[in-house]
Amino acid sequence: MDTTLLTSPAALEGLFAEARAQAAVIAATHDADNTSDDPRVRMPLVVGGKDFTSLTETIASVAEHPVPLGWYIGMAISLSLLGVLGLCVNYLILTGVGVWGNNQPVGWGFGIVNFVFWVGIGHAGTLISAILFLFRQNWRTGINRFAEAMTIFAVVCAGMFPGIHVGRAWMAYYMFPIPNQMQMWPNFRSPLIWDVFAVGTYATVSLLFWYVGMVPDLATFRDRSKGKIRQFIYGIFALGWNGSSRHWHRYERAYLLLAALATPLVLSVHSVVSFDFATAQLPGWHATIFPPYFVAGAIFGGFAMVLCLAIPAREFFGLKDIITKRHLDNMGKILLATGMMVGYSYLTEAFIAWYGGNPTEQFTFRNRAFGPYAWAYWTMMWCNVIAPQFLWSSKLRKNLAVLFIVAMFANIGMWFERFVIIVTTLTRDFLPSSWHSFTPTWVDLGTLAGSFGLFFTLFLLFCRFLPMVAMAEVKSVMPQAHAHGSHGLADAHRSDYRPDEHTNPDYDAPRGGGTLTSP
Amino acid sequence: MKHHVTNREYWRSLEELADGPEIRGQIEKEFPGYDPEEIVALSRRSFMRLMGASLAMAGVTLSGCRRWPEEKLAPYTVTPKGRLPGVTEQYASIMELGGVSRPLLVTSFDGRPIKIEGNPSHPFSWTVEGKIGSADAMAQASVLELYDPDRSREVVYRTIEEPRVTNWESFRQALDAQLMKLRGTGGAGLAILSETTTSPTTLRLKARLLEAMPGAKWYEYEALSNDNETAGARTAFGQPLRTQLHLDKTAVVVSFDADLLGTHPAHTRYAADWSSRRRSADEGQMIRLYMAESCLSITGTVADVRLASKPSRIGLLLAALAAKLGVSGVAAPALSKEEETFIAAAASDLQNSGKLGAVAVGAHLAPQLHHLGHAINEKLGAIGSTVSLFSVPGDDRPTHLESISAFVSDAQAGRINTLIVFGGNPVYDAPADLSIVKAIAAVPMSVRLGLYEDETSLRCTWHVPRSHYLESWGDGRAWDGTVSVQQPMIEPLYDGKSVNEILALLIGEKVIDGDSLVRQTFAAMLPGGTEFEEKYRTILHDGLQSDSAAEMVSPQLLPGAHFSFPDSAPGSFEVRYQQSLGCYDGRFANSGWLQEMPDPITKMTWDNPAYLSKKDADDLDVETGDMVTLTLPGGSMDLPVYVLPGQPIGVIGLVLGYGRTCSGNIGNEIGFNVYPLRTIGTFFAADGVTATKAHKSYSLAMTQNHYLIDALGFEEREERTGGKFESGKLIHETTLVDFKADTNLFHRNTDGSMSLKQLFNPPMQFNDPHAWGMAVDMNSCIGCNACVIACQAENNIPIVGKEQVMRNRQMHWIRIDRYFKGEPEDPNIEVVYQPLMCQHCENAPCEQVCPVAATVHDSEGLNTMVYNRCIGTRYCSNNCPYKVRRFNYLDWQSKDPRGWAKPWLNIPDTQQREMVDKIKRMVFNPDVTVRMRGVMEKCTYCVQRIHGVQIAKGNIDVADSQNNPAARKINDGDIITACQQACPTQAIVFGDLNDPAAKVTQLQKNNRAYPILSELNTRPRTWYLAKVRNPADESEQPA
Repeated sequence: MDTTLLTSPAALEGLFAEARAQAAVIAATHDADNTSDDPRVRMPLVVGGKDFTSLTETIASVAEHPVPLGWYIGMAISLSLLGVLGLCVNYLILTGVGVWGNNQPVGWGFGIVNFVFWVGIGHAGTLISAILFLFRQNWRTGINRFAEAMTIFAVVCAGMFPGIHVGRAWMAYYMFPIPNQMQMWPNFRSPLIWDVFAVGTYATVSLLFWYVGMVPDLATFRDRSKGKIRQFIYGIFALGWNGSSRHWHRYERAYLLLAALATPLVLSVHSVVSFDFATAQLPGWHATIFPPYFVAGAIFGGFAMVLCLAIPAREFFGLKDIITKRHLDNMGKILLATGMMVGYSYLTEAFIAWYGGNPTEQFTFRNRAFGPYAWAYWTMMWCNVIAPQFLWSSKLRKNLAVLFIVAMFANIGMWFERFVIIVTTLTRDFLPSSWHSFTPTWVDLGTLAGSFGLFFTLFLLFCRFLPMVAMAEVKSVMPQAHAHGSHGLADAHRSDYRPDEHTNPDYDAPRGGGTLTSP
Repeated sequence: MKHHVTNREYWRSLEELADGPEIRGQIEKEFPGYDPEEIVALSRRSFMRLMGASLAMAGVTLSGCRRWPEEKLAPYTVTPKGRLPGVTEQYASIMELGGVSRPLLVTSFDGRPIKIEGNPSHPFSWTVEGKIGSADAMAQASVLELYDPDRSREVVYRTIEEPRVTNWESFRQALDAQLMKLRGTGGAGLAILSETTTSPTTLRLKARLLEAMPGAKWYEYEALSNDNETAGARTAFGQPLRTQLHLDKTAVVVSFDADLLGTHPAHTRYAADWSSRRRSADEGQMIRLYMAESCLSITGTVADVRLASKPSRIGLLLAALAAKLGVSGVAAPALSKEEETFIAAAASDLQNSGKLGAVAVGAHLAPQLHHLGHAINEKLGAIGSTVSLFSVPGDDRPTHLESISAFVSDAQAGRINTLIVFGGNPVYDAPADLSIVKAIAAVPMSVRLGLYEDETSLRCTWHVPRSHYLESWGDGRAWDGTVSVQQPMIEPLYDGKSVNEILALLIGEKVIDGDSLVRQTFAAMLPGGTEFEEKYRTILHDGLQSDSAAEMVSPQLLPGAHFSFPDSAPGSFEVRYQQSLGCYDGRFANSGWLQEMPDPITKMTWDNPAYLSKKDADDLDVETGDMVTLTLPGGSMDLPVYVLPGQPIGVIGLVLGYGRTCSGNIGNEIGFNVYPLRTIGTFFAADGVTATKAHKSYSLAMTQNHYLIDALGFEEREERTGGKFESGKLIHETTLVDFKADTNLFHRNTDGSMSLKQLFNPPMQFNDPHAWGMAVDMNSCIGCNACVIACQAENNIPIVGKEQVMRNRQMHWIRIDRYFKGEPEDPNIEVVYQPLMCQHCENAPCEQVCPVAATVHDSEGLNTMVYNRCIGTRYCSNNCPYKVRRFNYLDWQSKDPRGWAKPWLNIPDTQQREMVDKIKRMVFNPDVTVRMRGVMEKCTYCVQRIHGVQIAKGNIDVADSQNNPAARKINDGDIITACQQACPTQAIVFGDLNDPAAKVTQLQKNNRAYPILSELNTRPRTWYLAKVRNPADESEQPA
């Protein structure tokens, strides 16, 4: 290496200039590969030569122009599945839980499997919105809006299941602490009550977070609306936003506060959901690793779902320059990381079962891996532990087909994880006399498929009528946002740079040869 | 006008549905003034007016809508100075089955019988353990039969063209006309085909009939009978005698295919006697039961030494034993090594025990085997000691096979012109080689008196409804000959008549009501005058005539007997017919409780597969649920297979009593009718049978092990229950020798890892003022299901149907876990029964997870269920390590057990009120909530009984009790749970653990007592007593 480079500011500047030039090319190219990790320059988060106007145009046009035929086809399929859900749920409530396959040892079947599955899906949105926001991960802006939307819709799907899986759905309100003449309160010792609070809080905060973040964009939609009705409806939801500094100030504060509020919820919801199992005494459920294991699994599953939605959506709605390859690459890395955590949890669980010396628990784990439901266990292992390993290779990670398939595996695997935990544990517990298998009925399968119908119906409506990408936020990470913003700062050319309010230029100065050689 | 049918309404016939004027006329006749439109069209105001008037009238007459029986009954416990509405009363009665009466105590609530128990006042219930009021499952389930809506309700006249519903009046006219003709011929041509009975009244009327019409013929037929036993006694002693063993005095009993504890008519008594000699394990003494059998019977499962054998070998084994013991006239046959060991051990034990030993011979075995059995007992000196012989009136008759054959040949020869069939169901269960259908068809006038319009009714020209035993007067004799009266509890629901009443009609008696007929019988047996009334009332009250048991005889064995036994056809299968433990011979097929009662051994419900040993199944390449084609000399049939560990190799077990075609909604087309294979020659067992794989499969509903268990599960199950002769974590067991050597052996840590010592005192003791607890003795449990049905009747437990049992949703609050120990290939497998109901854990895992606090503890240690708070999350059931909670997945009470549950569009919790049949709901125990769909339920330790006693004791007047303050105290034994009451072996004991003298406290302190899954720190209130086996051991001599 030419050491003069380190000592010559000019040479150094040359190097940086070269990288900047490359970045500029990438920024101007449609669907460019901006996944490079060149330390000299940060890659642009928006490519294709987008400026504020064209960005707004790209995103708003989805809602303003007639939707393509594909949307109608998707909607027709989703609505059919939603109809199946309606049919199944009505049949269930009018006839009894017996229309499902649940039985004597297996008190919980698809109902709770689906509940935990959907709650897990709902994790990525808030993680992207809140935790990545607090960590100043600016790339989140491209995907946070529809990840959050996905969260809300997943929680809607999840929230349905505890309500319909109970034997007397019409009495499910007993689970809420409503003051009543009987002076009867819920049993606060029961994890199911904790669930009610945890999921309820999560749904509320996620919804608020999503909505507050959407206000400036709703105002944009309002302002661009042609029809009176559109104008009126968007107007109502835009809350009179006029883009004043005061509004921006209030908005930023509220967003920050909600992010702070939502961050612990990301960890708490699935921890509490895991208590449904961890506080029970069944071998296979009763494990202290469950809270972190469930959270990691939920993030894994959530990111997988975001990928499964983002990859087709960016194609379909022409968002390739906003949801760039870099976004997908980053999510692939998170998928790999959380997949490893999930795999670690599986191994720890099995290790502790052996190390703990409890023969019943040892059997449970042997039974999972080699018993009648071994196929479900190995499906889970393949999907959640083996399949993500392909993402070590950056070449495979950048191949969207591979990424999509791995994410799909992760979704399937996470559903099977809940199936394995819930069903195989219950089929064989303490007394061999009560062992029994579980077979789902058509209503079980219909309800599972139908819950996807509900999810996609909501998601397609969202794509059609609401800003799919947080325009205001994306704009703030575009170079144009800092047109006048170098203010003499050496890092100003970094396209995603957002200065803190109280910056110390010294810290941001390039640490080239000058610094190294200064006395 | 076409009648509009809503799904809430039942209709009885197409005519009714069509609502023709004829049917209107009939309804008008049956319910004068009833107008269905009027009720429907009633406005709110007129409804209120009508209700008000009805209530006022009810108040005025005090008898408004009640259905009191008008006959005079003597209550059992409450003096008849006045009934207390809402307070149950108990009446003594009997139920006759196969000519043997079971003494019963019937609980009646507001004039409707709701529960059947055994009569503890009956000497047959007086065991060394005390007066045990246990009734078997079939007797207990008969209350459901009473309220069966499928029972026959109308007189039916069948011509060639079509059946016609008619009435008693026209039947009487037709019968009178026929009798006029018959009287002219002295009764020639009249035939009675009856069930076996020992009822004094029926026998008296029979004698009178035969006296009035000497030409009449009386035939009797039962598909299951003890005829061979009587016949054996006849060849041995020259007289028909019954045998009774005294297992409470017996040291060693060797049973040859005699299912003493399961299907013997005296099995409740035998079980009680036997269990007293099991419990004495605590004193170091036990009965030793040898069992050589050709099936796996209840007795075989609890035998100490068991030998699985082909039916054809049983006689040879008995002969070998006789030869070893020096009985003359018998040659020692060649035995296999295994058989030799068994017989040698049995012989030496019997020789050592002398007159404390006994040999029992199965009812189905040939008469000469019974003869040989008597010879052995005589040789041992057991007769008069452990075996008594006595003669019961009515037993002296031709055997059933002789009788039915005679009937068929008489009928076909045209010697019969009038046939009266009393009960039974010969068209369904007569031997296949007799053309019974043709025989009945050859009779011009055939009358069937039956509870149901069944297979036989369809072949007769007349069907007349029979009254249920709970609806009619009668009498009968118990196994020991004691005379009892059968009292009606309710007016006949469907206008039926009893056998006695029809007999009286035939004789032409003036008085034909059942009450008078029975009184006349007793008037002849008892002193007259006022004394009669008093004595008769005592009989009614106690349910028996004291000292009427048959007298023991000590007859001399007839000399010169010689026994020889043919060997079977080699290399082929043998078939052994077995009695269904639920359906009996098929007559209880329409009882949902009995259909869904898991077979004690196979845990099979709603079906009767062919039982095959593991080896035979492997050879045929079939598994449980595969079909096989059986070819017998009498015919061929496809049956599903159940691979039964312990089934003798080369023997196929076939269960009788299934495959009914005309039993009603519950029993039709359930299982397979194997009677068409059963001929006179092969009435009990057949040889020369071939079996081939049929390449079809069939769904079987078992409550345990629904699917073939994999190797992993099998290994783990054995790990937990213990291998053969080993103690496991869940099942503690040992042998008498080991137990005597170390009585503390169950308290020693075997694996050292799972025993937890309490580190802190539990915050709650749940013992104020009582601490309810239970002890279950696995050493005496025989898995007979009496407790299961008792619980079902007591607690309004629904049946769910075969499809739902296959989904494992059966609702029994008490289940009897049956574990096999040993390799499945081993025909001499070990079996253990562990009845499991809610353990009432002090630290209950179910309670803490319920989100709505619907299951909570009370201060006395009961884990209670609040049904109307329960929303049905099923979390409690998941967290229950014993899996004893039961969930109402569908509305079982409203659902047709043979059909699918239908959506209910009305207010959800009103379904039962509108859907459950008005007749069917009469069986409900009003003290127990009928659960709606979507709630969890489970054993309550019969909380209604606990509180019933507590309330009654609390109501004892303080002034009255001043002299005796203890009157308000609840004593041990005051509260008996339904399962405990029904248990013939007293394996279940409930009581107050605060009372140090209580039986349950003593039992929980017993060296054999342990709580199961105690390592989970659930602190269950139900403890189990370990099993002690008494296998033959060279070093050990029987006590």
